[in-house]
Amino acid sequence: MNELVQVEAKPSMAMKRLRSALSFVFPLLCLVFLWEFTVRAFSVHPGVFPGVGAVLKAGAESIANGSLFLHIGASFARVITGTVLAVLVAVPLGILMGVSPGVSILLTPLFRFFSVLAGIAWIPIATLWFGYGFGAITFVIFNAVFFVVAYNTLLGVSSIPPQLRNAAWSLGATRWNMLWEVLLPGALPNIVTGVRTGLGFAWRGLIAAEMIATNLGLGYMLFLARDFYRTELIVFGMIVIGILWLLIDRLVLAPLERRTIERWGLVR
Amino acid sequence: MSEAVVVNPALRLWSGYLRLVARHPVIGSVVPFLPLIALWAIVVEAGVFPRAFFPGPTDVYHSFVDLTRKGVLPAYLADSIVRLAVGAAAGMVAGILLGLLVGLNELAHRALWPVLLFFQAIGDIAWLPLLIIWFGFGLQTMTFVIVYTVLFPVVLNTVLGVRSIPLDLHRAALSLGAPRWRILTEVVLPGALPNIITGLRNGLGYGWRALIAAEMIVGTSGIGFMMFDARRAGSVVEILLGMIILGLLWYAVDALILAPIERATGQRWGMVTR
Repeated sequence: MNELVQVEAKPSMAMKRLRSALSFVFPLLCLVFLWEFTVRAFSVHPGVFPGVGAVLKAGAESIANGSLFLHIGASFARVITGTVLAVLVAVPLGILMGVSPGVSILLTPLFRFFSVLAGIAWIPIATLWFGYGFGAITFVIFNAVFFVVAYNTLLGVSSIPPQLRNAAWSLGATRWNMLWEVLLPGALPNIVTGVRTGLGFAWRGLIAAEMIATNLGLGYMLFLARDFYRTELIVFGMIVIGILWLLIDRLVLAPLERRTIERWGLVR
Repeated sequence: MSEAVVVNPALRLWSGYLRLVARHPVIGSVVPFLPLIALWAIVVEAGVFPRAFFPGPTDVYHSFVDLTRKGVLPAYLADSIVRLAVGAAAGMVAGILLGLLVGLNELAHRALWPVLLFFQAIGDIAWLPLLIIWFGFGLQTMTFVIVYTVLFPVVLNTVLGVRSIPLDLHRAALSLGAPRWRILTEVVLPGALPNIITGLRNGLGYGWRALIAAEMIVGTSGIGFMMFDARRAGSVVEILLGMIILGLLWYAVDALILAPIERATGQRWGMVTR
């Protein structure tokens, strides 16, 4: 059936993209209609669940007075700072640990333990050590990403077949070549997977930490709205959080992961 | 590993350790913590940081004994575990059923897949403010959060699993005269099982964190509440104790529940990619 369709009319790349985007958006639009219909049909109290109009209005308001972008900016600044720092430290450390089997045998359990704790469990102690604000939240994100990425890098390096390393040695590779042309590319698929998982935890940790420990950011925006029973602002914030994460995950992380795996092809 | 035979006591100790680890993997995951704990104790004893800010292992141990004797710790621990177990069980059952529906029915897949992705992206914790308005600070809020968190990874992975079953297997079963019911129980479910287990593992991992966050924000009991309450009182000891317990508990869940299931399904249905 598929073949027939393709022979009849080969849709261009752009058309295909558009069509898949539409088929993705359409069910969501249906959901919005269902939501509005339910709210009207059962005349749900706006304090319990707001209608579409109220949410749009709250959204337009927070865009107009700039508070939305302020919150998003604050959240992004924390995520990016924490993630970049974590990756910069975790990857070299992971490679160092992975190179020697002895060190990796000793350190793997430790890193597994701490990657289990990653994220939210650090909030209480982070706020105590750094006070409420940028430091504590960035620390939580750093933690969520750091241990997961380091653990995955370690796994990646130790999963490189020893033949590859031996081959490189016997061809006269320097330590530097070894690092750049064997270890790093070999571990890259794992590193990228680690970043994706770590960011998933970090994003949730961010929202939780912002609810508890700050006065700016998306999580705080939600929690502040709760204080005033402004459900329409809460729902708007939730939608923003959902869309942002979908964009980050589908447009940045997933393609990155796919491409690294394809490019360095350790996948069977 | 197979270096030349050197009669070096350190090396001999090391190879002895490696043999021990190979025989009893448990030792391999305990021993590395000993130097870490020792280092921790030394740093604390040396007084690099103020002790109230960075208490040592003995302090944490004392607080463990103290809280256990008072009965606070066992009660909180039980609360957290029961919440997680109930929420995870409900989320898993609902997730597998929904996953089968979405995976098997093309129309359901088209209609629901984007919706599922979107709701997964919103994330459990973002629901908390709304849930608090609906249900107040209580058990319902936490149960909802955990069910929600466990549900999505299970659904998404079940769908992937169901759809990755080769069509030939369906056809073979059909042509051998299998009714729909038996295709479900003997082709679809076993074929999707490894993915379902992966989903369960991810779901529990996320659910566990969501539980801690929920207990911190709305809780009146539980390990997360204990840690956050300790934070309010400025008691770092209890926070560290809570973190250690969380880590150990996950180890236990992993070793006693998840790993055996994974091994069993992997061996039985042999579809695990490694």
